[in-house]
This record gives sequence, C-alpha cells and structure tokens, in this order.
Amino acid sequence: MAVTAAVTAPRPVSPRHFVRLKLRILGNGFRGQTARVLLFVAGVLGGLFYAVAGFLGSALPGLADNADAALLVAALGGGVLALSWTLLPLVFFGVDETVDPSRFALLPLRRSTLVIGLLTAALIGVPAAATLIATAGLVFSAGALGGPGAALVQAVGVLLGLLFCVAVSRAVTSAFATLLRSRRTRDLAAVLLAVAAALIGPLQIALNRASTDTDWRRFLSLAEIVGWTPFGAPYTAGLEVVSGRYWAAPAKLVISAAAIVALLWWWSRTLESAMVGTASVRKTVQRTTPGAPVALLFPKALGWVRRDQFGAVLAREVRYWWRDARRRANLITFAVAALFVSAMVNFGDVIWGTEPTSDVSASPVTFALSMIFIGTLGALTLANQFGFDGTAYAADIVAGVPGRVEIAARAGAFAVYVLPLVLVIGVIVGFLIGEPGWIPMAVGTLVATFGCGLAANSMLSVVGAYALPETSNPFALNTGAGMARGLLSVVAMLASLVLAIPMLLGALFAGDAWLWLAMPIGLVYGVGAAWLGSVIVGDVLERRAPELLLTITPRR
Amino acid sequence: MKDDRFALVLRGLAKSFDGKVAVGGVDLDVPAGSFYGLLGPNGAGKTTTLSMAVGLLRPDHGQAWVLGHDIWADPIQAKRLFGVLPDGVRLFDRLSGAELLAYHGLLRGMDPAVVDQRAQELLDVLALADAGQTLVVDYSAGMKKKIGLACALLHAPRLLVLDEPFEAVDPVAAALIRDILQRYVVGGGTVIFSSHVMEVVERLCSHVAILAGGVIKRVGTLADVRGERSLEDVFVEVVGGRTATGEELAWL
Repeated sequence: MAVTAAVTAPRPVSPRHFVRLKLRILGNGFRGQTARVLLFVAGVLGGLFYAVAGFLGSALPGLADNADAALLVAALGGGVLALSWTLLPLVFFGVDETVDPSRFALLPLRRSTLVIGLLTAALIGVPAAATLIATAGLVFSAGALGGPGAALVQAVGVLLGLLFCVAVSRAVTSAFATLLRSRRTRDLAAVLLAVAAALIGPLQIALNRASTDTDWRRFLSLAEIVGWTPFGAPYTAGLEVVSGRYWAAPAKLVISAAAIVALLWWWSRTLESAMVGTASVRKTVQRTTPGAPVALLFPKALGWVRRDQFGAVLAREVRYWWRDARRRANLITFAVAALFVSAMVNFGDVIWGTEPTSDVSASPVTFALSMIFIGTLGALTLANQFGFDGTAYAADIVAGVPGRVEIAARAGAFAVYVLPLVLVIGVIVGFLIGEPGWIPMAVGTLVATFGCGLAANSMLSVVGAYALPETSNPFALNTGAGMARGLLSVVAMLASLVLAIPMLLGALFAGDAWLWLAMPIGLVYGVGAAWLGSVIVGDVLERRAPELLLTITPRR
Repeated sequence: MKDDRFALVLRGLAKSFDGKVAVGGVDLDVPAGSFYGLLGPNGAGKTTTLSMAVGLLRPDHGQAWVLGHDIWADPIQAKRLFGVLPDGVRLFDRLSGAELLAYHGLLRGMDPAVVDQRAQELLDVLALADAGQTLVVDYSAGMKKKIGLACALLHAPRLLVLDEPFEAVDPVAAALIRDILQRYVVGGGTVIFSSHVMEVVERLCSHVAILAGGVIKRVGTLADVRGERSLEDVFVEVVGGRTATGEELAWL
C-alpha cells in the first residue's frame, strides 16, 4: 500500500515555471543549430530597429511639447499597434507555439493557472519586447508634458497595453483555430479570416494618408474616439492626466484591464477545446462519396487530367489546398489581401472620399504596378509548400516521383485556385476604373508575374523550407519560424519582382503600345517562366529530396 | 553488387545526427524469399537504417542495393521494386482510404483499372471497406497501419520494407497482417520488418538481425541466432540493461 500512504499538498505552479520552460525550450532549440541562431539574431536586430524607431516616434511629441501630437501618436499609433497584434498573426505571421497548450492537457492544472502561465510565457519574445520598448516612449512624452504623475499612469498603461496585445493575439488565433477545426463552423471561419485580411488593406492606406496629410489636426477627433476603445485606451491614459481630466485616466486603465480579463477568459474557453481536441475522437467525421478509388481522387473539374504520376500529384494537391485547414487559411488570406490591395491602389481616393468620383484619374502605370504586385503576392503562399506536408512527403520520395513532375504538378494545382482568381480581379478592376481597354494588359501582366512567382517560390520551397509543428492550430509556428517565414516571404517577393522586371520596364517605357503588346508577351513570358522554373527547381529537388524531407520533419 | 540471391544488401551504412552516431556501419544481406526480422531496443537505429535502405535518408557512408540496384545511384529502378511502410511518418491523411490507395497506385505508374480493382480488394481484405470514404486523419492508429500496409502492397513489389508493422495493431488485425505477409512470402516476395516484439519475430521470421547502439550484434537464421534458448533471452543478453528492480521505487 505504498502509493496510498502519504499525501502531501502539491507545491503551487506559478508563471515562473512556464517562463523557465519556454526559455529552456528556446535554448535547447538553438543547440547545434547555427542557422537558427543567426535567424534569431537577425530577428532581434530587426525587432530592435522597430523598437527604437517606435520609441523615438512616441517620445517626439514630448520633446516638442505638443499635447495634441502626443494624443495622436498615442491613440492612433498605439491603436494600430494593437490592431496589428490582432490581425497580423492571423494573416501573415502565426503565433509562436513553443509552449504548446495541448501538452498540458493531462496535468492537474487549474485553468486560470494555465492561462496566466501561458500568457507570461508568450510575453517572452522579440515582438513583445519590441512593443514594450516602442511604447515606452509614451511614458517619456507623458512625463515631459505632465510631470511624474502622468508618467506613472502612462507606465501602467503601457504595461497593460502590452498585456492586451499579447492576450488579443492569443485569444483570436486560438478562437480561429477552434472554428477551423470544426467542419460546421470552418466555412464561417474562412469568411471571417477573409474579412480580417481585408481590414489590413484600409489600415495601410489610412496610415499612408494620415502621414501625408498636412492638416493632421483633423484626425484628433478620431484619436479621441480610438482612445476610448481597448485598443487605444492604455496608451492615452497618461495623457488624460496631462490634460487635467483626472477622472478619465483611471477609467481608461479600467477599460484596458477589463478587456484583458475578458480576452483571457475567452482564450481559456477555446484553449480547453484545443487541448481536448487533440486527444479525443472528433465528433464530425468527414466522409467522401463512394465510388471507384481513382475516380474519387480526381475532383470533378479535373476529370480530364491524365491518370499518371503528374495527374495524381496534381489531384492530391488540389484536394489538399481545400481540405487542409492550414493551407486553406493561407490561400484565403492571401487571396483577399490581393483583392484589397488592388482595390486600394486603384480606388483609394474614391473610397476615402478625399476626391470627388469624377476626378479619378486612373493611370496605366499605377494599374500595371498594382497588377504586378497582385501577381507576385498570389504565388507567395507556395514558399513553404513542402512544409505543409511534413513527413507525408516521404510517400512521393519512396515512389520515386521525378522532381520536375513533382514541382510542375504542385504549381499547377496551386494555379487552379489562384490564377482564375487573380485574373478575375484584374478584369473587375479594369471595368471598375472604366478602362476595359486595359484588361488585356492586365491579363498579360498578371500571367507573367504569377508565372515568375511560381518559379521563384518553388525554388524557395525546396531550398528554404522549414518545419511546421504538428498541431491542430493552423496558425502555430515553431520557435524562430516566424522570422524565417517573414524573411522567406521578403526574399520570395524580391525574387519574383526581379524575374518580372521585363513587365515593369514595358509598363514604364513602352507607352501605349504596351496596352496591346503586354498580353502576348506576358502569356509567353509567364508560361515560359513557370515551365523553366519547374525544370530547374525539379532538378534541384531531384538531388535534395532526402535533405528536404529532413528539414520539414518536425523535431520531436 | 549484382547478386540475385539477395533482395536487399546493405554495406557499411552509417549516419550521425549532430555528432551523435545513430547508425555506425551496418552490413546486412537479406536473402530473396526470406522473412527477415530486424530486432532492437528503442533508439537502436532501426528506423534510421531502414530509412537509409529505401532512400528516405542520405547515409554519411555506405551503400544499399535492392535486388541488384543501387538505391542512390539508380533510384528509379530500385524504388520500383519495393514497397515501404514507414513508422512515425504521416500519411497524406486528408485523403480518404480509397483516395490514398489510388494516389499511391498512380504514383507507382500503375494502370488505373488495376489500381481500382486492387484497391477495392485490399480495402475489403483489411476490413477497411467501411472506412474507405473516411479521411485517413480520422482513422484509429491500427487502421492507419493497415492502410499504410495496403499502400505498400498495392503495386505488388518484390520486397517489402516495414517499420514496426505490428505497433498499435489489435490482435485480430495483427493476425490478419501476419497472414497477408506469410502468403506474400510464399508467393516469392521478401519481407524485412523491424520490431521489438519477440513473439511475433519468433513466429514469423526465417532470419533475424539484432541491432543495438547502431551496430548489428547478432545476425543469421532464426535457429542460428536463437540456438537452444528463447529469442528473448538472447536479446536481453545482447542488448544488456536491467530487467528487474532492486531496492528503489519503494514508494510504489
């Protein structure tokens, strides 16, 4: 009866344990991984750059002794920062899941202990540190304008703001992961995700507009409103002390604290479902229709595809882009981002009401540039295509699929989804700006840049692949992978743009003739680039397949 | 290494990860028509060895031949001749069982009509017919093993390389898999599989190799390796390590 003998009360688990766990996992991850250390250092330097820039920007109004500017920077700058923490993890960056919540499912931890511990662990990281440094400039501003009392209130506000940012990013990604897991709600989640991505476009434009607008004082009323939302409240609390509205400062701090508590509660709810979801059998089992196996593999729209290696990989990829939550989330967000970028570039003036509709002067060069951008952006999702598969890619290696076939089929399947979408955007934009005559140019430009993008991103997917964690959260990333992902995206964009330079030169210098030349040239150039890319990248893949498999295998 | 008597020949296969030796030079001759058991404790290097043998992992040193074809110099020919059931590797699990089989069949360059016919038969025999329209991600661990085995068998390879085929499989399914494999060997095929379940190896294998610490410790026919004793005794002796507790764990 040894096990039933003595029962002593367990020692309490504190957030300290989570922090140490995270630091230890981070440290072990770096052991013997020079590339990862370098990436991390690059991430720290990048974060430091933004942190210092943000600090100077938010400290400047204090130095200049300008309370209105301080309010503007605090409310709008802080608000945009908090909104970025909300949206960017969903659309571009994912969340660092070094401390994976589902690992705690079997431990006897109270929900509050777990949530606070995970939040504390999430505070350890470059983005959180950079945010803290950047917003610390507001403390300086508040102190310079209103003395130590204002600075103290602002310091509390800045800390609450950081907690809000981290909590909101976790709560939102966790909620979306839960939605995407369930068959019933995942289409709704897809739509919401699209809306989230769509919000980034206007945000960008509004920022540009505000920064170029000479009469910035007319944004003060907007800043006042944002200052009362959880996004802006923590950053403007100190300024209320400066302006003498002493009642407003504690009110704003309470708003922030309440928002944080609400977010943590929300997060803890979805966290539980995420933890259970990995252990139990899911309730909704997806079934396909009965029939002959080969016919089942090929979607109806692809009935005409040859039944061979190429066709098999193509058909599986087409199925995967839709069935795999992680891939679909990527596909949707990038598609919508492209849609809105084109809309904003071409009709920004109308939408923002700064100029009357009749005065819109669409220019072929702006139009062509926006098309180049969309074509390039469209292929970006492919940059870690093998990472999505993980170890499942072993099946293709064992079967001896030639590299060229593999790359061409994957690019083809991706194009099945994205190319029509991109072309539709081009046509619609062409009609909306009242220049249907430019549509052939748009089509040529889009095909050319998309083809170049396919080639560049295929290459990166082979030489720059990284492992994605095997969790049910489609937004989860391994430690340091956020940096890798960002870097890879930038490299992919640049490479695609370099390949697409001929289209750029044509748009800039060929004059009106380009409106008609772009279509045939673009079609040939784009298809040629995609084909040549699949040959070159295919040969690289042929040599590197086992090494690629190793890099996309998650370390356990 | 053109020798038809052997289905799989390994020479000096070695692999290190971050300076840590996983496999330290493995030589193995798997005779054609044999039922070969690769035994070893956890972490012995079984999966690493088999991965290098089938071209999933590039060895630091050494070579591997499948029925006379060098897996690294002549991969297309070599890969055509074997089927693999890897362990710890995901399947393309967002496909249904039937779709997955069709995918593997077409990857192997088979005729679609033959793929359909064999896939149906395999699904029936492995009692997966009902699950044919369910996504593999929703399968139980045992069902995943079975569909993986079906994928490896589909193109009727001459050699089967199976990594832990009986892990997480219930007794009924295990008996079924044993029967399929025995019939395959009787029909002229060769099986090499890894395991640490003595009982299965003793019941099935004609040949055995014991791998520990990345090197082959014992190799030969089952009778040679076992001698007068049970395979478990030999295994424990070769591998070492304790099999009983002493004074510790008094609190249990």
